[in-house]
Amino acid sequence: MGASLPPKEANLFKLIVKSYETKQYKKGLKAADAILKKFPDHGETLSMKGLTLNCMDRKSEAYELVRQGLKNDLKSHVCWHVYGLLYRSDREYREAIKCYRNALRIDPDNIEILRDLSLLQAQMRDLSGFVETRQQLLTLKPNHRMNWIGFSVAHHLNSNSFKAVEILEAYEGTLDEDHPPENERCEHGEMLLYKISLLEECGFLERALEELHKKESKIVDKLVYKEQEVSLLVKLGHLDEGEALYRALLSMNPDNYRYYEGLQKCVGLYLEDGQYSPDQIDRLDSLYKTLVQQYKWSSAVKRIPLDFLQGGQFREAADSYIRPLLTKGVPSLFSDLSSLYNHPGKADILEQLILELEHSIRMSGHYPGRTDKEPPSTLMWTLFLLAQHYDRRGQYEIALSKIDEAIEHTPTVIDLYSVKSRILKHAGDLVAAAAFADEARCMDLADRYVNSECVKRMLQADQVALAEKTAVLFTKDGDQHNNLHDMQCMWYELASGESYFRQGDLGRALKKFLAVEKHYADITEDQFDFHSYCLRKMTLRTYVEMLKFQDQLHSHAYFHKAAAGAIRCYIKLHDSPPKSTAEEDDNMSKLLPSQKKKMRQKQRKAEARAKKEAEEKNEESSASGVSKSGKRHVKPVDPDPNGEKLLQVEDPLSEATKYLKLLQKNSPDSLETHLLSFELYTRKQKILLALQAVKQLLRLDAEHPDSHRCLIKFFHKVGSMNAPVTDSEKLIWSVLEAERPTISQLHEKSLFEANNSFLEKHKDSLMHRAAFAEILHILDSNRKSEAVKFVEDSTNNIVPRNGALGPIREWNLTDCIAVHKLLETVLADQDAGLRWKVRCAEYFPYSTYFEGCHSSASPNSAFSQLRKNSENESLNHSVDGQNVGSITSNGKLEAFKDLTI
Amino acid sequence: MEGSDEGVERVVDSKDLQQQSKAFDKLTDRVEDRQLDSSRVQEAMASIAASSEADWQAMRKREKELAAVKINAADVDIIANELELDKKVAERTLREHKGDAVAAIRHLLR
Repeated sequence: MGASLPPKEANLFKLIVKSYETKQYKKGLKAADAILKKFPDHGETLSMKGLTLNCMDRKSEAYELVRQGLKNDLKSHVCWHVYGLLYRSDREYREAIKCYRNALRIDPDNIEILRDLSLLQAQMRDLSGFVETRQQLLTLKPNHRMNWIGFSVAHHLNSNSFKAVEILEAYEGTLDEDHPPENERCEHGEMLLYKISLLEECGFLERALEELHKKESKIVDKLVYKEQEVSLLVKLGHLDEGEALYRALLSMNPDNYRYYEGLQKCVGLYLEDGQYSPDQIDRLDSLYKTLVQQYKWSSAVKRIPLDFLQGGQFREAADSYIRPLLTKGVPSLFSDLSSLYNHPGKADILEQLILELEHSIRMSGHYPGRTDKEPPSTLMWTLFLLAQHYDRRGQYEIALSKIDEAIEHTPTVIDLYSVKSRILKHAGDLVAAAAFADEARCMDLADRYVNSECVKRMLQADQVALAEKTAVLFTKDGDQHNNLHDMQCMWYELASGESYFRQGDLGRALKKFLAVEKHYADITEDQFDFHSYCLRKMTLRTYVEMLKFQDQLHSHAYFHKAAAGAIRCYIKLHDSPPKSTAEEDDNMSKLLPSQKKKMRQKQRKAEARAKKEAEEKNEESSASGVSKSGKRHVKPVDPDPNGEKLLQVEDPLSEATKYLKLLQKNSPDSLETHLLSFELYTRKQKILLALQAVKQLLRLDAEHPDSHRCLIKFFHKVGSMNAPVTDSEKLIWSVLEAERPTISQLHEKSLFEANNSFLEKHKDSLMHRAAFAEILHILDSNRKSEAVKFVEDSTNNIVPRNGALGPIREWNLTDCIAVHKLLETVLADQDAGLRWKVRCAEYFPYSTYFEGCHSSASPNSAFSQLRKNSENESLNHSVDGQNVGSITSNGKLEAFKDLTI
Repeated sequence: MEGSDEGVERVVDSKDLQQQSKAFDKLTDRVEDRQLDSSRVQEAMASIAASSEADWQAMRKREKELAAVKINAADVDIIANELELDKKVAERTLREHKGDAVAAIRHLLR
């Protein structure tokens, strides 16, 4: 390290290193310049200067200097190490590891390099390498606490929990009896809890429990101590002790559902599927009745019985649960109850119960069987609950009448408008849903929740510009929505991406979906600093949990949506490439000379405007200046704000493949993953990979209409291929011959027969019938009219049920829209599509897609009513003599446009 | 030389953001490692036995067996291309299935 420098310069070099480590970059730069004045070619100084500049956001200069330094001194481990650090800061981990290995070849026992290497190995999950490196560090510096901990964690991650325990015990052997000192109690306590969790993981339950008891006085986190203890007791079968401990935990937090579950297990009354026998139900009921007495203020203890009670007992318990919450006016009551709607029979009981409450309050002002007068708001909250109930059951007309009555009762309650918006969304009128969400937003301009809900509805209604303007009311930078991207606001990016996709704007859609993917890449990188931080702080259990979470990061639903959206964009891009510049030029050449001149002038003006805007942006950016640490706080200008460059991708399918591989690895249990896989690989002519997708679809749900479609399409395509000629084709053919007998749907059947057999099993299901018809058309295009007729002959049956109020039909809106698109595109029958549309307008009168009689596309709609109300307000304004602008479809937004939050 | 890894930052325009930045900066601050008692450390080191020798031997034997399998180079190329895999992965799978390309592919399609 600077050994060839004279003493004065050698000291300056040490100062550079220290300044870098303590983030005093300006000081480091000054020292480097002082050395370079006398020794301008000194490799290590050039490298360190480059590294320092890298931390001051001068990256291109940094690479230049580091490479120059390395070239000047190839035998220096410092130069290689610095090069690796530079790559690391750009997340080029593989290159960084190569550099570190080169550095270690020169200086095999360098502690700093080994430590940096171990960080990269942890980041890349090279676990065996990580173990090896941590072992080297421990061997070299065994009196550093962090090296013991690091080695232990490395073994744990490398699936050797027992070895990890041994190392921690050896480490404990180095400590005094009265360890830890006061300032290390938390750290030591965390280490002990980590060790005990390792013992549990190894299956040494008795030993873990013994260790837990022995070290009780040294463990600071008492809650985790108790939870760990009860977990071990239950696993060891000490159920009486476990029961007592769960009761103690419940007294600490009676709203933790996990404690109730644990208690039920200890008394032998817990089943994963919730299917309890009548005797078990009675015993559970008794248990919770005693618990209610102990924890009067807990909601959980009253709510949990609703899950296992049945029939009359359920009705009675639900009644006593609901009444005080309606009186109190709890808006989240329906959300609380909504999981019960998945239990057979309970929705009907709830309907009868709530209707009875409504009737009694309306007629007499009090609950059935009671004489206490209810406050006026109880009726409103009851109507609110009923509206959500009927919304859930798909009876939108009744739901809307209930919510309208509630709004008439008390027009100033924001939740009523939010729920009306949601009902309209489910009914298919997205425009009206957005309008009512905006109405709710305008009633409380300081609440970001209703603002966000409104933005979401606007995006669902494809009102992107308006949504952006609305969202900006809560962003920090005022007139920009970049803040939403900076703050990783994924729901917004996903919703706007999907909206752009629906509108056919693939560039902007891709832009949004890829922005979400970038957030996940950033979150992956965020773990890097914690590999050393958590070892220092000893928060080991949380650290390991974080690492496991990171390994599953791309399983998150938002990533799935973004990747699926991006893949769909790329497939569409592949199927319909945008017009190339050459084609546009051809169009231009057909114009008259004067028109050509006009066109060119227009282009020139547009280019000038764009350039001016870009310059203005740059000026704004550079004006922000330089902070104390020497960094330039410059926001990079977005080179492609509308995603136009994304559209110019040469090979959309290979871009899509990158995201598909992530979905295949992280969302293998999603049908959508493999549907996209099938669509992508058939286009890429990768027969075997398309087969793999089909196999996965059959594994997940062989009876799903889409699985059926892909299966038959695949073998239809294979059947139409020529006899194999090349070695590659012969091998593929051999695999297909070996695989086909394993597919039970095709046993000794032609594709026609397989399609018919599929229909036999699902002839009453609309989506299965549609899949059958589509496949029939694909197998024999001459039978299109037969396929169309078959779809149109489908019947929308009424669902049998106990309740009395109104019918519920089988078909849902999403399915009917899908069938309409099938008729118009795949089957290409416009007349049939029109007939289907008219028919579905009857079933879904609020749907704008089908132009139902109550939708925003019709004069009778709720949306039109809202517009009339706005006009009335406008008249009132005129009477007051105020100047009123044009009426907009968005309620009061215009009136508040100058308002700043 | 464990340094920070910081990219472009947003413009700091509020006290909250300043506090946030300061807190995150603290993550990568230079901190001295805690030291342990030297005499006890030597005893502890002796108790860490090398149990990885046997594992390494078993793995080496396995690799030797695989290396002896005869495979068709053209099959490796076909598998790598059709299944979009790294050639090393394709080759290893082929070796694990004793050179039977159909069996190897069916395994990979699992």
